[in-house]
Amino acid sequence: MSGLVGQGVARVDGRAKVTGAARYAADQEVPGVLHGALVMSTIARGEVLEIDRRAALARPGVVAVHTHADMPRLNLPNFPYNRPFIPMQDTRVHHHGQPVAYVVAQTLEQAQEAAGLVKVRYRAEDPVARMADVLDEAFLPDDFRDRPNEYSRGDAAAALGQAAVRVDRTYSSPMQHHNPIEPHTTTAVWEDDGTLILYESTQGVVFARNTVQIAFGMPEGSVRVVSPYLGGGFGAKGPTYPHTLLTAAAARLCGRPVKLVLTRAQMYTSNGHRAEYRHHLRLGATRQGALTAVVSTSTAQVTRVDENVYNGGDSTVRLYACPNVHVRQLGVRLDLPTSSYMRSPETTAHFGLETAMDELSYELGIDPVELRIRNHTEVDQQPDPPVPYADKRLLECYRAAAEAFGWARRSPRPGTTRDGDEYVGWGMATETHTHTVIPSRARLTIGPDGRATLRAATQEIGTGTYTVLTQIVCEGLGMPLDQVTTLLGDTAYPDASLSAGSSTMPSVAAPAAEAAAKARNAVIALAVADPRSPLHGVPAEEVVARDGRLSAGGDRVDTYRAVMTRHGRSVEVTGDKRNSTPGHSFGAVFLEVRIQPRLGRLRVTRVVTAHDLGRVLNHRTARGQVIGGVMWGLGFALMEHTMVDPATARVVNPNLSTYLVPVCADAPSVEALFVDRPEPDAELAGIRGFGETPGTGVPAAIGNAIYHAIGRRLRDVPFTQDKLL
Amino acid sequence: MRAFGYTVARDPAEAVRLAATTPGSTFVAGGTDLLNLMRDGAETHDHLVDVNRLDLGGITVGSGALRMGGAARMRQVAEHPGVRREFPMLSEALLASASPQIRTMASIGGNLLQRTRCGYFRDAASPCAKRVPGSGCPAITGQNRGHAILGGSEHCIATHPSDLAVALTALDATVRLLGPGGERAVPIAGFYLLPGSTPDRETAMRPGELITRVDVPRTALAGQSRYLKLRDRATFEFAVVSVAAALRTRGNVVRDVRLAFGGVGTRPWRDTRVEAALRGRPLTPQAIDEAGRILVRDAKPYEGNRFKVELVQRALVSVLGELGGLR
Ligand SMILES: Cc1cc2nc3c(=O)[nH]c(=O)nc-3n(C[C@H](O)[C@H](O)[C@H](O)COP(=O)(O)OP(=O)(O)OC[C@H]3O[C@@H](n4cnc5c(N)ncnc54)[C@H](O)[C@@H]3O)c2cc1C
Ligand code: SF4
Repeated sequence: MSGLVGQGVARVDGRAKVTGAARYAADQEVPGVLHGALVMSTIARGEVLEIDRRAALARPGVVAVHTHADMPRLNLPNFPYNRPFIPMQDTRVHHHGQPVAYVVAQTLEQAQEAAGLVKVRYRAEDPVARMADVLDEAFLPDDFRDRPNEYSRGDAAAALGQAAVRVDRTYSSPMQHHNPIEPHTTTAVWEDDGTLILYESTQGVVFARNTVQIAFGMPEGSVRVVSPYLGGGFGAKGPTYPHTLLTAAAARLCGRPVKLVLTRAQMYTSNGHRAEYRHHLRLGATRQGALTAVVSTSTAQVTRVDENVYNGGDSTVRLYACPNVHVRQLGVRLDLPTSSYMRSPETTAHFGLETAMDELSYELGIDPVELRIRNHTEVDQQPDPPVPYADKRLLECYRAAAEAFGWARRSPRPGTTRDGDEYVGWGMATETHTHTVIPSRARLTIGPDGRATLRAATQEIGTGTYTVLTQIVCEGLGMPLDQVTTLLGDTAYPDASLSAGSSTMPSVAAPAAEAAAKARNAVIALAVADPRSPLHGVPAEEVVARDGRLSAGGDRVDTYRAVMTRHGRSVEVTGDKRNSTPGHSFGAVFLEVRIQPRLGRLRVTRVVTAHDLGRVLNHRTARGQVIGGVMWGLGFALMEHTMVDPATARVVNPNLSTYLVPVCADAPSVEALFVDRPEPDAELAGIRGFGETPGTGVPAAIGNAIYHAIGRRLRDVPFTQDKLL
Repeated sequence: MRAFGYTVARDPAEAVRLAATTPGSTFVAGGTDLLNLMRDGAETHDHLVDVNRLDLGGITVGSGALRMGGAARMRQVAEHPGVRREFPMLSEALLASASPQIRTMASIGGNLLQRTRCGYFRDAASPCAKRVPGSGCPAITGQNRGHAILGGSEHCIATHPSDLAVALTALDATVRLLGPGGERAVPIAGFYLLPGSTPDRETAMRPGELITRVDVPRTALAGQSRYLKLRDRATFEFAVVSVAAALRTRGNVVRDVRLAFGGVGTRPWRDTRVEAALRGRPLTPQAIDEAGRILVRDAKPYEGNRFKVELVQRALVSVLGELGGLR
């Protein structure tokens, strides 16, 4: 064992990324490529009456202007296609910013100019844009992806009625957008044999391939999706979206490759969002702080044509020990695009739960950490009967983070800690998120030169997948880092996990490790069977692989390179082991805010986290994930807000100068601790998904710290200065 | 965005001539606002006359005034030692604007003429009386958190976004123009127009005029000034509310004061009644409160920006308190 797994190995693709050598989807140079531009609906509800293409077609370089009239009819795929319709199949407009025409031109500038010249006449109906206006029409939507929107155990209503102490509050968050820095992009290339290559910025090449195959009625294996790097996704590139299908269709129509890059503004209506959300939460507890009832009714924006709820309230059901729970996830139909999973979707509901727990702690006069400890559970209560967690170390997280933060020094009374003209507040929250596991395979090849290459059709979303898989393979083979290459993001490789739902590592780590072990054994078998090897005749299990050398003690030493050179051919193996199950990662976040209430100024100055994610595969990338999560949590709490015009249902701030996300100057210091329990006997046991856990508690922790600082309880994000005055 | 022509002018006279003789033309300096407006379809121009090569980049602090060339960069002015020493609020206003990258590109002239960040204005598919006269103002009943509480009309309530312009308004700057009709100077107080029924007309500039220079009188008052900017994140954002303040006191008594406000008015907002309420009086919390009430006496808030009425008064208390050593 070279012990590489766990170390804070620097990114193996870091140099390529900072030097520009890394080729992102839109960087792929495709000879003869044409450029696409979308014409988007300017109404939110109604019908296209007429599209005048003449001015656009008359411009130089314009090859085609497609509309619903000539777009090929496509099959509507199910999830992970994230729309209940395919645009440009008929005249119906379901939301503003829906593609109604597709321009193809020789250059990007020509395409964009022509798109501006397409004139569309509509019959417009009045849209409903504001949830507040139609709350009384909330309904219980159908199950989505086999998940019911109602859940119940015990008798929550009765328990709430009898509870000694109650909290009954409503929490809310607005529409938000993912805003990865790299826009969505697709380049579609049809080959002479009728197959299709898509250079796509996607969190799931396999998902995208399957979706496109269904839409075009193509046989399996006839579409190849390539996505070697992503400039972020945050869920926006998990499902497949209309622009991908439309680009493939446009390329087929004109018989040339077509490239489309969405504009930033188009990304506010094309790729889902976090739905506007209201959360009515009622907690009942004993005077000692034991939860006796949780009654949760959430309302999320859905559309007139689908009712998918993406903001599941998992933590409300599972996080704390409580015998009586009733959760209902309602929807309200608005004339907006379909929402989607966005950056730890469970944060949406978790913000309410963790704020309500803080409110309960003040009702009871129990420290917020102590209250959570009293409600800690070692069993997953959702299944019936409940299932014990294999190894949940949340209590250690509370302890470690509280100590590093200095929580014991906190004066519990709100509004009592001052520093000059600033009020100082300390708040905390539990962090948790579900992770999924997706069946995955990985292929490992050791060439005649002794170098190893891992191939898997998962993605590098920016979190360090290349690095961590390389570490795993190196450790399994006993090879130095520079001898192993990992290739991802191409459906030419074995099918592997989506990079979403915190699933990449729990899904792909085990197949990669398995492949490495198999390959190591295969090479050792070659060596001990080869009379030219110093290891000839040694029992295979006595050979130890390390740093590229295979040794059995003394001078009985061979190397991967020597064995493979003599062998003269490659060794190729595949791993498909599944040794994680879907589950949860846990943690705690403690943070400090400083507020000048006179001016409504607030800064988050200090954050300490502790997480239990099973085995930490790379401390550096795990810490990066925590910092990223904290920053997005800050955005959720303090500024992110997609504004929709109430009359037209158009997004009013579809750009990064008025849709605010945190900048470096907003960044607090972050101390990230890990309860890291490597289990050396079981090579890769104990791996859990971690992508989405950090940050889930941050919005509530900030609100809780604000309350502690100035005694004002905020329940409606973003907490902008007007709410702090 | 539409295709457009492009010419680099070599001297101011040529720039003015090119602009006057080329239909559908306008000047471009850093392009940090203009190109975004053109991409978004909020403005269309057939031709751009580049003014970056003109000899208009100088910054001098003379005995009587600071002179900034119209093509001086925001960053150069902000970092100029004389500006920092003698006109701290100018430097602070610029450093609180945009980002280092944008400040390096963007010019003083362009900064003064940047357009509002009102989302309806920048969305070519939306009605907006400033962009399309007569099409109405959806902000009044729509999303108006960023909008003005002072100086609005039923036709437009957009704020002017420039921080620099607020500071220049407090300091009685003069904008020097060169146009087809020759040179002229416009005091900043008359430079920006109220929207009234013509929100598309934002300044007193005539067609084809070039900003060649901005002069700021050098006074003892300017040396004791501050720019306070409040916003929704730590940096790289326009003002929710800002105050440019200069104050001279003798003992506790206000000898002179200049105040201008950003984020609250349809133009950089100055109300000399507010200054008059303070001048000659002891600088006390009560005096500042009274001045603040005068400022917002005619305020007309909307659903999303009601808080600005209170916030701007508190900002005034804060900045005067600091300048006057009240805390
Ligand atoms: C993300 C972002 C954040 C920003 N934040 C702030 C902020 O916080 N505070 C702030 O004040 N500003 C802010 N800005 C605006 C920025 O300051 C302006 O974009 C910049 O000052 C414009 O200068 P420019 O030279 O690039 O002008 P251009 O974009 O080149 O031109 C703007 C306008 O001025 C005209 N023009 C330019 N020079 C002259 C001249 N010499 N004579 C006559 N007309 C001329 C042009 O024709 C055009 O109409 C921000 C901008 C962005 C993109
Ligand atoms: S406030 Fe002014 S700029 Fe904004 S929509 Fe109304 S008219 Fe247009």
